[in-house]
Amino acid sequence: MTRHASPPSTAAPPVEPVPGAESGTGSRSYLRRLGGRELPLAVVFLAPAVLGLGLFVIFPLFPAVFLATRGSDIIGSPTRYVGLRHFAELLTPEFGQVLWHTLAFTLIVVVAGVLLPLALAVPLSQRLPGMRVFRSLFTLPFAYSASAAAVVWLLMVDPGTSPINWVLRLVGIAAPGWTTDSNWALVTVAGVTVWMVSGFNLLVLSAGLAGLDEEVLEAATLDGSAGVRHFLSVVLPMISPSVFFVVVTTTLTALQSLGQPQVMTDGGPNGSTSTLVYSIFNQAFHNNNSNYGLASAQGLVLLIIGVLLAAVQFGVIERRVHYR
Amino acid sequence: MRTMRRVSLLAAALATGMAVSSCAAAVPAGIDYKAVYTAPGPDALNGAGEVDITVWHAMTGVNGATLQKLADQFNAQNRGRIKVTLGFKNNYDDTLSAYKNALRGSTLPDIVQVYDIGTQFMIDTRSIVPMQSFVDVDKFDVTDIQPNIAGYYSVGGKLYSMPFNTSMPLLYINRNAFAKAGLDPDKPPTTLDEIMADAEKLTVKDSSGNVVQYGFGASLYGWFLEQWTAVAGQEYCDQGNGRDGHASHADFVTDEHVRLLAWWQRMTERGLALKLDSDTKNGDTAFESGKVAITLESTGSLGDFTKAAFEAGAGYFPKIDATDSGGPIIGGASLWIVGRGKDDAHKRAAWEFTKFLESKDSQATWHTSTGYFPISRAALDTETDRQWVAKKPQFQVAINQLQGTKLTKATQGCLFGVMPQVRKAAENAMQAAVLQGKDARQALQDAQDSLNRPIGDYNDAVGG
Repeated sequence: MTRHASPPSTAAPPVEPVPGAESGTGSRSYLRRLGGRELPLAVVFLAPAVLGLGLFVIFPLFPAVFLATRGSDIIGSPTRYVGLRHFAELLTPEFGQVLWHTLAFTLIVVVAGVLLPLALAVPLSQRLPGMRVFRSLFTLPFAYSASAAAVVWLLMVDPGTSPINWVLRLVGIAAPGWTTDSNWALVTVAGVTVWMVSGFNLLVLSAGLAGLDEEVLEAATLDGSAGVRHFLSVVLPMISPSVFFVVVTTTLTALQSLGQPQVMTDGGPNGSTSTLVYSIFNQAFHNNNSNYGLASAQGLVLLIIGVLLAAVQFGVIERRVHYR
Repeated sequence: MRTMRRVSLLAAALATGMAVSSCAAAVPAGIDYKAVYTAPGPDALNGAGEVDITVWHAMTGVNGATLQKLADQFNAQNRGRIKVTLGFKNNYDDTLSAYKNALRGSTLPDIVQVYDIGTQFMIDTRSIVPMQSFVDVDKFDVTDIQPNIAGYYSVGGKLYSMPFNTSMPLLYINRNAFAKAGLDPDKPPTTLDEIMADAEKLTVKDSSGNVVQYGFGASLYGWFLEQWTAVAGQEYCDQGNGRDGHASHADFVTDEHVRLLAWWQRMTERGLALKLDSDTKNGDTAFESGKVAITLESTGSLGDFTKAAFEAGAGYFPKIDATDSGGPIIGGASLWIVGRGKDDAHKRAAWEFTKFLESKDSQATWHTSTGYFPISRAALDTETDRQWVAKKPQFQVAINQLQGTKLTKATQGCLFGVMPQVRKAAENAMQAAVLQGKDARQALQDAQDSLNRPIGDYNDAVGG
């Protein structure tokens, strides 16, 4: 799981627009102001990030576009130009299903993966004895790799020996087919992902809560603010940078999840947990496939979805984020 | 100003360079469709000094350690002549991926272990020396190799690879549960009807109606569908099970398959069978924990099953109809000798190691250490092997089952270049019917249709 940014501090300095970012003349004057010794220095500092981004993000785009328009032989070497054939192959009900699973999976993971840690972070931020221990415990899943978490949860929901089913039976609830029932399988796989992202999100949200300005809270309390209203109108706006951050990173994590469906259900039953990334993996590498053309076309779809989501998040949601 | 222009120029140059190099990198080393490799004679090693050969394999744990032990033994016997180095490649899929990447322009191993379902693919890579070529050059006696095992890896009467780790499917029963239900543990069920009848007696519910023990439960593993087809004496795909030419379609939609899946649906609806997915690990734990009393698994799981808290028994893989007269197909993996880019000394050295692994003593060690089926008939008569089988009488069932199966195109098994995808599609059909409650015939039809494009693309690519 790649994290694309570092958690923002609630005490971050106000974000000012880069001077002159709006106009061409401004940018030139900014460069001139940098001038002399500072420009080479800036290039040196930027180089690692630009190189990394270029090598691992920008550059692979070219081969991806190239491969998406080529057929391939049985070992995956690109052959003749096939135009938009691979994109046409995406216009099927099956791929529609894949997109639907991806959407449902991402929604479950983002909604539950943000609300749950938030619900935990609020009580955990109270200065009570033992809360540190709890906070550490709840944060632990963050340290699991996707495949390790998937294997552990696979044992937990094993149809024959599931400890969860055993507990449910004790309280008189018939356990569902966690990985064998089509409707449950996606929830199970998403649930494991929620469990995985919650630890990190809890950490970020707790830090946000810890950095709250006591004076503001006290003033609000004196004005009679309390309960849910206090949380929604006073606390939430103040930690909104942290909330926004976890929403963005959790969305990306959910979109890129592979280990969970691959290890737990192998996309099943009958493809009902086949998400976009699983489908790409399946076409490119799984079951001796080497259908790099179709996989690349699907990869470009993933890119477009990622960009669209980011645009929505930064264009619409971030407007409501209250940076102090 | 000037700096700016220079930077942008540099950026443009870089971008063009990247685009060009990405295209250049993508130019295929590809497949040489005209390549034919043949075996050199025994003198190929003369004057070649010590020949280093690399073997890519996917054996983990005890299996990997045993293979290493055999390689060490071989190296000790051939000091100064041949030195084998094992290269572990995680699993079968990764091994094949690594091999494909190497075909696109890096160093190939001298021997590669490939799963059964990669057989047609390996032939189509045009990079290997058919095993038959060595057999012919050496007039090597192949009568010691179990004919049903060699049969899988033979096309047109020609042996392409040397079978190595081999397994077969069996029906396993919980003997204690059988005795408790008043059934004879020495008479495991042999047909679908018998399994259902036994499962009715074996299924146990607690006071609140929860099933404590299911009569039956097996993983929805695609391999099993192939087995049922072969036991029914039928072919799984056209072109003589893909052995007379590249098969063009899988025969999923048959009355037998429909009957099988409809039976499975009834078993789960009636609460006689536990719903399992295609992950055989889940099926194994369900049986080992006593949750299901009858299961289907490969001989490879026998070792773990004998460690369960109850006594495990084995029977032949069941028939769909009592009149079915075929038998199961072997599974596992085989060893391929690479010809592409290899000189005669390396090819010969690879053959020497392959022969060593096939020999009865190596196979006896392999069989008794790993539980895989020995490919050498004589291995079963060695003292080590006899003692082992005496301790695991269930294995005798597998031996009898193999030797009692007539080798036909049906029991040789179906070959497809895209066989791994065919197996996955079979699993989708099984899951759709048993787990999603889809109509059995429709589920099979959908899965079969989903294969048209991959099979067509593959056959177009290899010109078959």
